Order: sequence, then structure tokens, then C-alpha cells
Amino acid sequence: MLTGENIVQLVSGLLHWAYAQAGISSLAGVIDPIISAVVMFGFIAVFVMFLVWMERKVSAHMQSRIGPNRVGPLGLLQTVADAIKLTIKEDVKPVNRDKVPYFIAPIVAFVATFMGMVVIPFDKGVVVQDLNVGILYIIAITGFTVIAILTAGWSSNNKYALLGGFRSAAQIISYEVSLVLSVVPIIMITGTLSLSGIVEYQKQAGYWFILPQIVAFLIFITSATAEANRAPFDIPEAESELIGGFHTEYSGVKFAMFFLGEYIAVVVSSAVAVTLFLGGWLPLPYLDFLHIPGFVWFLAKLLLVIYLIMAFRWTFPRLRVDQLMDFGWKVLIPISIINILATAVVWFCLYGKGAQ
Amino acid sequence: MGIVRYFRNILAGLWNLLVGLSVTTKYFFKGTTTQQYPEERLPLPVRSRSMIKLIYDDEKDQFNCVACLMCMKACPNSCIKLEGVRQADGKRRMTTFKLDFSTCIFCGYCVEACGFDALTFVSEEYENSVYKRGSLLQDEQAMKWVRPHSPAAEAAPIENTAPATAGAQS
Repeated sequence: MLTGENIVQLVSGLLHWAYAQAGISSLAGVIDPIISAVVMFGFIAVFVMFLVWMERKVSAHMQSRIGPNRVGPLGLLQTVADAIKLTIKEDVKPVNRDKVPYFIAPIVAFVATFMGMVVIPFDKGVVVQDLNVGILYIIAITGFTVIAILTAGWSSNNKYALLGGFRSAAQIISYEVSLVLSVVPIIMITGTLSLSGIVEYQKQAGYWFILPQIVAFLIFITSATAEANRAPFDIPEAESELIGGFHTEYSGVKFAMFFLGEYIAVVVSSAVAVTLFLGGWLPLPYLDFLHIPGFVWFLAKLLLVIYLIMAFRWTFPRLRVDQLMDFGWKVLIPISIINILATAVVWFCLYGKGAQ
Repeated sequence: MGIVRYFRNILAGLWNLLVGLSVTTKYFFKGTTTQQYPEERLPLPVRSRSMIKLIYDDEKDQFNCVACLMCMKACPNSCIKLEGVRQADGKRRMTTFKLDFSTCIFCGYCVEACGFDALTFVSEEYENSVYKRGSLLQDEQAMKWVRPHSPAAEAAPIENTAPATAGAQS
């Protein structure tokens, strides 16, 4: 039967056979991660291109338009054309920039979010590195983007970029708190930080965590949208106020890095949401007789959550900066703390002390 | 009281967000209203005024124009230039007619001034883009237009009977 695990075993078996043939078996520990990284980068690049196309189509249809339909079938190659345009574009740099941070910032913004993909389980056993502190790792890694954004805003030597960077830093730090707090009940219930372990728990329990933890799911989605700097939380790059925010002075490939980073952040947070709340690679209830591979289920759920985030962007108006802070600190954080307490009480009453 | 209002506000906000999402989701599945212009064209009303044409009489094999110069005088931009000759039978006939569409504002004064049913607006031709500015200076051959032999259609009430292209109405 075709499962993600079989594919991975087949590929790794072939690779190790190739190593043995080439006489470099001792280097497998070095080459394997590189191959994983390249495969993951290829996947994410294609997926992000698809997402950009999808976002444009979704927004178009929500506004009764058609969207890109000229380049390739259904306009699917539009993003490819855009990517080519971005890479061959002149890299315009401000004269008074701070050279080294200006150069490093987009790389950090891209790498920090890209590294989050390491622990995402696409299927049972299909994961680059199944860390036993997976959630903690993702939260820590995605927190790096704030450094990149602040660096970009500071080194551009531009008022708008600096203001955007400041706003972004304030926003991400605020919403990071509620993001972490919304995940805590899941960890309390499952007793593990590993993403695969959480999916396995949902498989044994027979339900997905979106049912008992709908509040946590809503808080997580909201915070993840804010973390990714997407509308309605796109104050750091609000066009009408701050031009482009922190990436005002970036163009060409460097801008593409920021752009890619933003979409990868969406992918990573949606993937975490799918894993934590929607049962990861598990099939829909009563549909497991279809024998659809787990990664198909995972990608379907992933696209659903990403569609939700896109619908947010094209539905809700942008929050004002003080409302943004109010919402984060006065609504999301108290609610998530109440959610933690309620979960603790309910689970204690249901399963007693040894609730695992 | 404060805590009740706090939670009520949150629930009301959540409800409002759901209402907004339902609206966008409804439109997402509703279909598009875009007319993809070069492939699809909107049907024009029969008597829409798009392009000025010189009426050519098929049966008499000549233009209706008698070169009375009324259109030339009526033109506010002086974009009409025409000449005529007196024929052997004593009637005047137009020999050259030039209308510079680069200065024409389609005010229609020339059509109104014409007393011999020689100038008219047509509805079917409205794409005036050209590659060279000189192409906008049209002569009588470019402006030649034969009225369709269907007086009943002319007298028909105003409605959209222009040929509609596929998918134009959605």
C-alpha cells in the first residue's frame, strides 16, 4: 500500500545503496540532511508559488473577478513569471544603508521561517527530524523573524521602514504570547511536545483536538495570522500608512526573500494548526477505508487552513495599531489563560490525577 | 457587569467576523462578472453612437453626400474637409471627404447638420485604436457605409438586439 512512510523508506534505501556504490557510506550523516534540505526547499518553493497563485485566485473570486488567467493554463505560470521578473530585477539599494545588516536581514527572515519546516510531519514517519520538543522548536525558530524584520527596518535608514520594523516587533512579541498559551492545553492533554506524538494521541483518542479545543484553535489561527504579518494584522507593512513597512527599501531577490518568508510562515503555522488541531495526516472519520495516503490528507487540510487565512485577509479590515495591542493583550491572552485553566479543571475531573 | 460585557463583546465580535466571512465565501462561489474584452464583447444598444460614417447608396452607386458643406461649418474642431463638383446634370456631388478622427470629439453636430441623410453614427464599430496617428485621418472610402436593407430593423424599438458574443451575459 502506498503510504508516505513506504516512499521515504524506499528513497532512503535507494540513497544508501547509492552511497555504498560510490563508497561514501561514512558521509551519509552529512549528505542526508543536505538532501532533505534541498527536497524541502524544492517542495516549499513550488508550494509557495502555488499559494501565491491561489491567493490571487481566491481574492479575485471573492471580488467577482477572474484573477490571473493569461500565463499558462488558468494562469498557473503567473507566479513563475513573477519570480523570474523579481530575480532579474535591478537590486536598488539605499546609499546610507547599514551594509551588513541590510544584507543579512532577508536571509534571516527566510531561513528562520524555513527552518520551521524541519519538524512538520507530513505523514507517519515523513518528517525531516522528529524532534521531541517540536512545538517548542517551532515557536523558538519563528520568533527569529522579528529580529530579521527589526534589522531590515533599522538598516534601511528609512523612517517608514523603521516604523514598520518597530510595529512588527511589538506585534509579534505580543501575539507570540497568546500563540504559546493557546498551544499549552494540547501539551497538557497529550503530555508530549513532539508533533508526531500529538497526532498519534489524536489517533488513539479517536477525536481531533479542534472539538474540545475550539477556543484554542481560534486563538492559534488568529495569533498565527498576526505572527505572519498578514492582513488584518498587516500593520507593519500597511501600504496606506507605511508604504511597504520594513521591506520598503528592498527590491529584487531580497524582496523575494521577505515575500517567500511571509508565505512560508503561513505554511508553517497552518501546518502546525493542522497537526495540533486537525489530526495531521489522519484521514477524516469513517473515510479511512479509502486508503488515501496520509500526506494527501495532510496537504488537503493544510490547504483548507491556508484558504481560511486567505479568506481572513480578503474579508477583514486592518486593525488600528492601538486596537491591535488591545486585542492581543486584553482579549487573546486572558481568554487563552482561561482556556488553560478550564482545560486543566475539566481534564482533572474527567480522568483524575493520572490524566494521560 | 464589566466581565459580562467583556465576554459579550468578544462573542459579538466573533459573530460579526463570521458574518463577514460568510459574505466573502458566498461571493467566492458566486462566479465572476468580468468581461474579457478582446475575446468577449458587451452587446451595444442598437442606436449607440460609436463611429461616424458616410452613407453610400448601393442602388444609385454613389454617396448620398451632395457637398453642401453644412457639416464642415458645423464642426467645432474643423476636422472635416470636403470638396465637391457640379455634375453635368446640374447636381452637386462630393468628390473628396476627409474626417480627422484625431481631433474629432464625436459631438454629432455634423450628423445633425446633414440635410441629405449622408452622415450617420454607427453602433457596430467602436475600436478606433491605430498604430499611426495618420491612420486616424479617414477619407470617404474608409468611411463608406452601406445601410442594411432592412427598414423594419431601423424602425424597431430600442433594445439590445446587437449580436451578442458567447458568454457576454453572465
